[in-house]
Amino acid sequence: MARLASIRDFDWGLLVYVLLICALGVVEIHSATVGTKFAGSETKQIYWIIAGLVVMYIVSNISYHALLDRVPWMYGISLVALLAVKVFGATALGAKRWIRLPGGTHFQPSEWVKLILILAMAKYFSDNRSSELSWADFLKAGTLVGLPMLLVLSQPDLGTALTYVPVAMMGLFLGGLRWKQAGIVLLVVVAVLPVAYFKLKPYQRERLTSFVAPEADAKGSGYQVTQSLIAVGSGGLWGSPTKGSQTHLSYLPIPQTDFIFAAFAEERGFVGAMAVLLLYFLVLMRLTSHAQTAPDRAGAFIVMGVFAVLAFHILVNVGMVVGFMPVTGIPLPLMSYGGSSVLFMFLALGIVMNVRMRRFVS
Amino acid sequence: MPRAQNQMEVKARRKLLFLAAILALWSLLIVGRLIQVQIVERAKWEDLAQRQQQRDTNLTPPRGKIIDRNGKVLALSVPVETVFASTRFVPDLREKLTLVANICGVNPAEVIARCEGKPFCYIASKVDAATAARVRELKLTGIGFEPDVKRSYPNQSLGAHVLGNVGANDRGASGLEQKYDEVLVGEPGRVNRQVDARGTYIDSVVQQPEPGQNIILTIDQHIQYVAEQELARAMKETSARSGTVIVENPHTGEILALANSPTFDPNHLQGVDPRSMQNPAVSFPYEPGSTFKIITVAAALEEKVTTPQEMIDCGNGSIVVGRLRIHDHKKYSALSVSDVIANSSDVGAIRLAQRLGDRLLYHYILGFGVGARTGIELPSETRGMTRPPEKWNPSSIGAISMGQEIGLSAVQLTAVVATIANDGIWTAPRIVAAQTPPANGMKTVQYQPVGQRRVISTLTAAQMKLMLQGVVLHGTGTKATLQGYTSAGKTGTAQRKDDVACAAAARHEPGAKCRYSKTDYVGTFAGFAPLNNPAIVVVVVLDSAKGLHQGGQVSAPVFARIAQNTLAYLKVAPDVDLPMSRQMLMAMKRSNAADLNDGPSDTLGEPLEVAQDEQPAVAPAVERTPANGVKPVNLPVHPGVPGVPATNSQAVSAGVSAGAAWAGQPLQTPEDSRKNASGGGVVMGTANDVVVPSFLGKGMRYAIAEAQALGLEVDLHGNGVVREQAPAPGSRVQPGSHIAVRLGR
Repeated sequence: MARLASIRDFDWGLLVYVLLICALGVVEIHSATVGTKFAGSETKQIYWIIAGLVVMYIVSNISYHALLDRVPWMYGISLVALLAVKVFGATALGAKRWIRLPGGTHFQPSEWVKLILILAMAKYFSDNRSSELSWADFLKAGTLVGLPMLLVLSQPDLGTALTYVPVAMMGLFLGGLRWKQAGIVLLVVVAVLPVAYFKLKPYQRERLTSFVAPEADAKGSGYQVTQSLIAVGSGGLWGSPTKGSQTHLSYLPIPQTDFIFAAFAEERGFVGAMAVLLLYFLVLMRLTSHAQTAPDRAGAFIVMGVFAVLAFHILVNVGMVVGFMPVTGIPLPLMSYGGSSVLFMFLALGIVMNVRMRRFVS
Repeated sequence: MPRAQNQMEVKARRKLLFLAAILALWSLLIVGRLIQVQIVERAKWEDLAQRQQQRDTNLTPPRGKIIDRNGKVLALSVPVETVFASTRFVPDLREKLTLVANICGVNPAEVIARCEGKPFCYIASKVDAATAARVRELKLTGIGFEPDVKRSYPNQSLGAHVLGNVGANDRGASGLEQKYDEVLVGEPGRVNRQVDARGTYIDSVVQQPEPGQNIILTIDQHIQYVAEQELARAMKETSARSGTVIVENPHTGEILALANSPTFDPNHLQGVDPRSMQNPAVSFPYEPGSTFKIITVAAALEEKVTTPQEMIDCGNGSIVVGRLRIHDHKKYSALSVSDVIANSSDVGAIRLAQRLGDRLLYHYILGFGVGARTGIELPSETRGMTRPPEKWNPSSIGAISMGQEIGLSAVQLTAVVATIANDGIWTAPRIVAAQTPPANGMKTVQYQPVGQRRVISTLTAAQMKLMLQGVVLHGTGTKATLQGYTSAGKTGTAQRKDDVACAAAARHEPGAKCRYSKTDYVGTFAGFAPLNNPAIVVVVVLDSAKGLHQGGQVSAPVFARIAQNTLAYLKVAPDVDLPMSRQMLMAMKRSNAADLNDGPSDTLGEPLEVAQDEQPAVAPAVERTPANGVKPVNLPVHPGVPGVPATNSQAVSAGVSAGAAWAGQPLQTPEDSRKNASGGGVVMGTANDVVVPSFLGKGMRYAIAEAQALGLEVDLHGNGVVREQAPAPGSRVQPGSHIAVRLGR
């Protein structure tokens, strides 16, 4: 088990795709923020990407088995951190999501918990090698994800909580979820939804209603969806002739983060949008290939966990931009502006690299 | 175990495939949605984007300026601003609207009614820059400003009836503003306004508004002012109902002033009776009374049915025409034709008209321009009221010969008198000299008389001039006497239709009959000065003066004051010796003026002159029948009437102006019209022009040398030192012009 991973085993192709996406993101962040109070965000984003690359390199050199061994500890710390947020968290926009750190930075534990959950699921199912998921395992795995999810929900942060769902789904599926169990999950969701709806904050409820009928409130919550669609629509095939006036005249809400895909689609048109989606597709394909070549079941679980999180983010974000999904505040990975998001993605990719570089080892 | 393993793998793979299928379906849906939104429905979304981001508005172009003959601006468009609200972005809409409305001086309730429920509305239009700045200082979100223009008349009511006014849409509603609207209006510009999500906006001018063309008037602001002041004074003194004054250059037809009273201020039209904005001087025909005898007598002289000296039997002040007996105001037994004019004998005028007969009289009425529009550039001009002889009744000739039963406008009357003053040539009155492009308001203006036609011979005109001078010297118009200038004219006091009775008759009320009023008269004085080479024609009409109402009593003094002031302003050389001390003063003043090199105007740059290469278009139309064979009038046309000191000055000025004009040429040559213009003093200076120096008191050699140095020719008369000269010192003339000087010991 001598395993000094070689730089040659690094997936350079994947890195190129990722960096291409990041570059398009940086250009679009510049275009969307120029002349606003967010001007200069692209420079910060570049720093975050560089930091991300460093993190990715470091993580890729620590064997994922070492990480898996420490998962129980990490999981415990996660729960403590989420509880700490509930107690000491900084209140912003009626929610406690961050812990204010010295030096003016904010720490959002829920983002990192996602990664720990991927590792936790991988650890759990790699230890459990049965072909079909037992009811006990089903409940245990559900609780494993459900506990931190409930904590995040109570912050409240519906968007981040929802990103835990694909982690659980992927783990359960790979772990041999039975159709019956899947049916029960579905039933529970259907049963909980109406109850949950009344427990939602008014703004969240509005987002949902306006998602169902955006025209009913074109100037309120439906406003964001309508403006996003106007931006995307005026992009046309090759990009808008007015060079993104929807974005530049601030009709598009938060165009550098959640709605960056709409801003991009307006400026580069259908062709540009398809190019970005193609790049994401290539990244996802690389991930599935790495999952297949993973040296062990745990490795495959990790890669597929990352795959699930990435795919979920992309599809929900783009779905929101084109009006399929309610506005939930889920950023587009690698493109959207934001340190946490960028660092998380590179960290996750670092673990994927880690798995990939050890594919001949086992 | 491998088999179980394999089975498990197959099951897991199937489930994974299921997951992959869901992902693929989702992805396809997204791609499909992108195709739908970006390609299929693109137009719809783009339209929505346009609608919320763009707001195209027009920019009102500044109207062209209206400028007097010396470059003084009579009407211009000043920049103002219109305040609007993008209501969606205005917090506390009602409160903010009330605030802004109060600052702008508009009714807040109206604004709120107009704005509520609308995404965009105007709060106040055309507010001045200071008010807009006060609103701007509040830095209210959603409140914006649009540039606009507003018509401004810097001299308030000056020339109001000529200039007219503009409506709320900035389009001309009366006067020249209406007549020249298409010229003045300009091309609107277009603004593309980008509105961002916060309601702030960026205007980008797609097309600059193009200012309208300027128009340059023949009006002289100073003369207009004098005319209005004197008219206002007369209105006050006589309590007349209304009044009109016209000042015109008889040689060119240029209207120098046109004033009506009551008048209005086009800057402030609230509460102004729209009827008072009509221009009676061109739009309302009136019965001119005795002033019309000018036509009757001129026609009789021209047709050689009489001579100025012939004695006319005035039937002891009464005559029967048709079934009508007409009485003179005095019982004259016999009067010379000159005295018929001077004393305004109705009976005498009727006798002359009867000699002409209906048709010939009518021929001359038309010849003098009555019954046809003069074509003056003002809206709704009247033709006057004339009937062809077939429709006359037997007594009509009596009424018409003395100026009743016929109607003409004050402008038409001005043209009639100008025909006499201009040696028998009718000239169309004009008020607009030129249109100039907006950037080039100060360009050369070339004014050319239009519509000229000979109506009576020069001889008849000369005879008429002398007879009309008789009116001032010893007839009904002695109050029209000027200081230092000869003058001529005709009074008229016409019965006026009883408005109340005639209105009743028009409504077919039983017993109502349109008849002349017993108390209201229209008093007119229509004259010109100086006698030879007249510089100005002045017509004064006062309607329904209380107390004294005769033209000679109420209107002649107005004529005198306006003519006196205007002639001095135009620096017309006096043709009558003033009392000695005064003459000295005038001479000093003249030489001072020459020393200062100060022309009457140096703002506009160029004279209203006729181009050298352009013959007046009307020249061929002038007929020279043997009967009225043109005779030069540079005969000593000395009136030889008591009261006028016998000097040679008139002969000299006639020799220079009239003489040159008529030597072999029936009409004015370009050169001559320039002289007429300079003689009238209504010349706008040009860079090339020479200011005529004062030769007075200088020797012959010195005068010649000085003139040559300036490029002028001197025509010498007599010996000794220069006693008189024409044109007057300070006039502006073209290089090479002739200056006539009379020398004496």
